[in-house]
Amino acid sequence: MAEETVSKKEVLKLTGISYGQLYRWKRKGLIPESWFVHRSTVTGQETFFPKDKILGRIAQIQSMKEEKSLDEMVQLLSPEATGRDATWEANATLNAVGEGAKDLLWKDSGYTFAELVALAAGAKALSGGANRSEAELLVELVRHEDELLRDPGGAVALVAEKSLEREGMSVRVPFAVVAREPVQLDGESRVTQRADLEQLVERVKIKLGEVR
Amino acid sequence: MAKQNVSISGSGKIGGGDYGNVRISGAGRVDGDLIAEEIRISGSGRIMGTVKAREITVSGSGRFTSDVDTESFQGSGACAVEGNLKAGEFRCSGSQRIAGGLSAHYVRTSGTLSVGRDVESDVFISSGKFNIEGLLSADRVEVRLVGESRVGEIGGEKIEIRGDTGFNVQISLTRGFRMGFGGGSLRAKSVEGDEVHLESTRAEVVRGETVRIGPGCRIGRVEYSGSLEVHEDAEVVERVKS
Repeated sequence: MAEETVSKKEVLKLTGISYGQLYRWKRKGLIPESWFVHRSTVTGQETFFPKDKILGRIAQIQSMKEEKSLDEMVQLLSPEATGRDATWEANATLNAVGEGAKDLLWKDSGYTFAELVALAAGAKALSGGANRSEAELLVELVRHEDELLRDPGGAVALVAEKSLEREGMSVRVPFAVVAREPVQLDGESRVTQRADLEQLVERVKIKLGEVR
Repeated sequence: MAKQNVSISGSGKIGGGDYGNVRISGAGRVDGDLIAEEIRISGSGRIMGTVKAREITVSGSGRFTSDVDTESFQGSGACAVEGNLKAGEFRCSGSQRIAGGLSAHYVRTSGTLSVGRDVESDVFISSGKFNIEGLLSADRVEVRLVGESRVGEIGGEKIEIRGDTGFNVQISLTRGFRMGFGGGSLRAKSVEGDEVHLESTRAEVVRGETVRIGPGCRIGRVEYSGSLEVHEDAEVVERVKS
């Protein structure tokens, strides 16, 4: 069943917030870009939102905004929008995401959101049978993808393997790929590990929510 | 260890890397991702990679082939960014083209600004010409129109678009010498804000709380929740109080 939507005007009326606040929260990443759905109506272009999500989020922001700054709220509500400005202690988060993940990227100053997702992807590959160097390839690739992780719909991180056979020698070269589905590889390559980044982003967000 | 400073004053090429100050006053090129304290281009500079710097000044011709992240960006020459530009403070008095989006805390432009995607800033002040394909979003938008500007959408708290009232002189290589009164105009699909004041603007729809439609405007539909004032030299097809 399709989600119930609500127009921007109705949102302002129902919640009492202003255009200024709505646009400010959008710029900050407190309201994800993907919730803004542009649609043509009889009265021209209008913007709609998934009703439950937007009303829930605005209620959360309103209940926090007395004691928290905008940046603190972003860290709590939209960790994917913090980029490289915020870090989290890994211990509590990573135990839940995957054992052994922390060894793939050792830092003592805390991890950015992208790094936590990267480690979760690495841990998933490890538990799926990848070896350590393959998992590290994946972590190194995903940890710099802050932009992609803000809108991870359909994004996957893959470990693949290319088999080269030349003059009787056979070499298998592992490599990592981050892309949006559908991903096409050449005929000599095959995917050995597949991590759905959208799922991992959600999982890390939930874990971060529990940690706070 | 102190980081290395680099200066290209003839014609030269360096690899990417982590530097102190990078100065290009001749024709210079950086191949690869660049991290620097300060980048100054006064000749012709091309940076082939992502850039992260505390301060960037371009007074000649600059081209950045990928994303740029800086605390302060000042352009007075001709500059093109082929990725996204993220800047604490962005000032432009020359010609600036950004293929991606511009995100900043403070934007001030008096030159020609062209942006392929959205502009996001706390404050956006323009006394130049701009062409923004996507959304211009800022708490405060203050525009003094010069020439023909275009924007997809505008959204924010306080939006003030003023027509050009004074005498102006334009010298352009392609159009020759022009002189005249007024002439500034803005076209937008939609404008949304709490306080909206428009002049010389054509828009399909304007939504706001307090809305003033000034001289020279042609608006398809105004939706307002507080008050609406329409100047006698303005045309509003439909008015809706909601």
